[in-house]
Amino acid sequence: MPTPARCRLTVALSAATLALGLTACGSTESAPSVAEPDWDALSHDELVALAEEEGSVSVYAFTSRIASIEESFEATYPGIDVVAADISSTELITRLASEHRAGSATADVAYVSDAPVVVTELLADGVLEPYVPQRVSAALPTEFREPLVANRLSTKVLMYNEEAHPDGPPVQNLWELTEPAWTGRVMMVDPNVRGDYLDLVTEMSLRAEEMAQAYQAHFGREIVLDEGVEDAGLQFIADLYANDAVLVDDTDTVNSSVGTLGQASPPVGFTSYSDRRDNEDEGWALQVASGVAPSPGIVFPAMLGITANAQNPAAARLLIDYMMGDDSETGGAGFEPFYVAGDYPTREDVVAPADALSLEDLDAWSIDPQASAERRSEVADFLLTIQ
Amino acid sequence: MTSTRSRASDTARRPIVWLAAGVIAVLAVLVAAPLAGLVARTLDSDADGVWADVFSSPLSANLLWQPLTNSLLMGLGTGIGATVLGAFLAWVVVLSDVPGRRVIGVLAAVPFALPSFAIALAWESVFRNDRLGGTPGLLSALGVAVPDVLSWGAVPTVLVLTAHYYSLSFVIVSAALWGVGGDLVAAAELTGASRLRVATRIVLPAIAPALLSGFLLAFAEGVSNFAVPALLGLPVRFQTLSTRLYGAIATGDAARGYALSIVLVVVAGMVLWAGNRATRGRSFETITGKASRPRRVVTGAWRWPLFCTASLLVAVTAIVPGIVLVVSTVLRRTNSFSGGFTWHYWLGESDSSIAQGMRGVLRDPVVLSALQNTVLLGLAVAVGAGLLGLLGAYVVRRIVRPPLVGATIGFLSYVPFLIPGVAFGAAFIALFGAQIGPLPSLYGTFAILVLAGVAASVPFAFQTSRAALGQVSGELEEAAVLTGASGPRRFGRITAPLVSRGVLGGGVLVFVTMVRDLSLVVLLVTPATPLLATMTYRFASEGFTQHANAITVVIATISVVATIFARRLSDARPTGSTS
Repeated sequence: MPTPARCRLTVALSAATLALGLTACGSTESAPSVAEPDWDALSHDELVALAEEEGSVSVYAFTSRIASIEESFEATYPGIDVVAADISSTELITRLASEHRAGSATADVAYVSDAPVVVTELLADGVLEPYVPQRVSAALPTEFREPLVANRLSTKVLMYNEEAHPDGPPVQNLWELTEPAWTGRVMMVDPNVRGDYLDLVTEMSLRAEEMAQAYQAHFGREIVLDEGVEDAGLQFIADLYANDAVLVDDTDTVNSSVGTLGQASPPVGFTSYSDRRDNEDEGWALQVASGVAPSPGIVFPAMLGITANAQNPAAARLLIDYMMGDDSETGGAGFEPFYVAGDYPTREDVVAPADALSLEDLDAWSIDPQASAERRSEVADFLLTIQ
Repeated sequence: MTSTRSRASDTARRPIVWLAAGVIAVLAVLVAAPLAGLVARTLDSDADGVWADVFSSPLSANLLWQPLTNSLLMGLGTGIGATVLGAFLAWVVVLSDVPGRRVIGVLAAVPFALPSFAIALAWESVFRNDRLGGTPGLLSALGVAVPDVLSWGAVPTVLVLTAHYYSLSFVIVSAALWGVGGDLVAAAELTGASRLRVATRIVLPAIAPALLSGFLLAFAEGVSNFAVPALLGLPVRFQTLSTRLYGAIATGDAARGYALSIVLVVVAGMVLWAGNRATRGRSFETITGKASRPRRVVTGAWRWPLFCTASLLVAVTAIVPGIVLVVSTVLRRTNSFSGGFTWHYWLGESDSSIAQGMRGVLRDPVVLSALQNTVLLGLAVAVGAGLLGLLGAYVVRRIVRPPLVGATIGFLSYVPFLIPGVAFGAAFIALFGAQIGPLPSLYGTFAILVLAGVAASVPFAFQTSRAALGQVSGELEEAAVLTGASGPRRFGRITAPLVSRGVLGGGVLVFVTMVRDLSLVVLLVTPATPLLATMTYRFASEGFTQHANAITVVIATISVVATIFARRLSDARPTGSTS
């Protein structure tokens, strides 16, 4: 019985939104005046010439470092004005989707994290389109060319206080964190509140087999799942919560809690490896728990895409090309703001910054945005049941 | 006589129908449309079964019921606490002879101008225990074992929210107390009524609409606040509907987040209904035309105890958080004294060894234009929301039939706090993103920011106007009808001046919210219109806490200056000077 009523309400409401949408559309659907050039066939100079004709490019970015890109890009290509807005990934995704639906003015380029949400909210609806500069294509592993090109990787990994544990990580296996010695002393940002931490937990579930092997290695017996727990990854997080893991609302709180100097028995926590660069500045002793089995955490991409109705398609491509870095060892000016120890370039021909473990030595799981997108809402639901 | 009276009141009522239609039309676009968009999102095909997940699934307990219980606890606790504190301070400032009341009056409006996280930070700096590690609070550092219940969860959250939002009640109730004519009190005292009797029979009823309005605002703010429960609640897994709905949106499940916010809207609607019902059918009219200054109460032996209580309250809620905030901007290391002090985050040139080379905020060329835009936006929204709120409250007060009109206006003017900023922004893009007929697209213009701001902050303006209008006798206007004054003229010359103090107070609240709150406009701002709040966000999201807090200090300063300015303005124009 409730179904027809609900349908009627839905119809009425969608009629209302449709009416609003219709008046909005008609006017902006501009037919492409010229046939799109074959972008991949253009030489760099031809692309620059087209881009200079357009004269500007608008970008939404999830990081304020886009301001230095704006500066250096404009210095390199004086004829092209970069208009940069930095907003959080969540808001960026909502904004792009809403603008796409309304047919309103929008950005040309999006620089965005939260890859699994991008896959479901933007790529599925055709809001963003990929562009891989041919120049760098060969140096990029497939997973960083699809579904969108990625220019760098960030991390959420287990970190500890180096001052309190000068001999290396206090744990060798993630499962140790579920034992009494670590009760109330493991910190992370609530994965029901921040997407990148949900990705971390989702990856544990996707890597359930490795989690099960690590369990066997640590406890010397095969894992037995609790009722209602689907896999070893989720069992780990359930045991971690049951061991009074401390949840907070932002990464900086984890950093200062774990890292602050002068603590007798500091907690450990999941945070960004690159925040280690603030150690001296902030009086921290953060260090990554490398070698912990099965893995200290995840690496995930920051991706670049072009909007479906980009007003400045050539300048947009030029900006992406620029942000992929030049052919020097460090990626040059276009990659400079992202060349940070603890983050990683996706290009195999760019040498990762010193002062941090190599990507191989870090041995973190690289997330697969598509697989993650399919799994993460179930994981979020599971987390709600084990509060 | 009777027939003249009723004809007169008929005439007074007629243009009101048109006014009502206008107000409802504006609210329909600004509030009802975003709300409908919210509902539509939870019912479309992508949202499969979101309502079932929320209400009847294994998740319901932790997704809805427990957080809902906590939210109600926070809302009611904040509402009651803030009303009591705010009313007490308003009485001290307006009606008592307690020394230093002018300064107390200025400080009592400050907590609302500070961001709520600053007050939470102040709490942590004293009560933080070792649950998180890192730098402990003052008490722990002194060796006192602070229990979790004092450091984290419901108790600190509700106390911090109360400290933040009592300013709302203070502003509204003090405006109302100015409207309680001294002659009324004097007359009552002449009849030999005891002081208690005067208080409970005359003063209290006169300010009842203001108490209700203050409570309603604090309740809605208390349940919608995210920063405080996230900061102080999460470490002990204390979740409210606001942390749950924010989390759902942030992790990519917007439909679920929107469903939870609709639950909040419905709950708030019920609280509004209950509040209105409790005060229905009574008259609180105390302004009947003759102006008289409020009569100060001689407190005698209570003078100093009252002074101590009031100044302690404002010291703890305004001065201490203010100092914590300011000090945090000159600490070399984030929230820690270990690195010493520096002005670098305000004035420093770029230095690669500090904060990744970020220069001081006052060296940032954007800061000046952001300041300008922010003040301009605050003023424009204050005027717009003030007008909409005043007209809406006037209609609700005067219109009798159909009763649904008043209820609709009241509801739509109350719930905007509870619509998540992201949803508001998305709805505004849908509404104004492209050109409508001959009207050009507003998207990317300053105008759309103002519209969104008006939509989101109309509750302050409406509630303050409603409280003020509740005191003004309708007979005044009816008398003016007999003199042949037109509708707009009656409103402009009689009603508006009588409620100016309350309306001005509401305008300040709107202004203060607009200059500091980013979430309202975050989807609509463009690089062309930088705002101070967007700068705060930009710094905070990259971990440049000192820079972010420095901008926050600038914002708070603007707010305090605006508050003082408004007080000057309303003191210069005593309420009710119609004779």
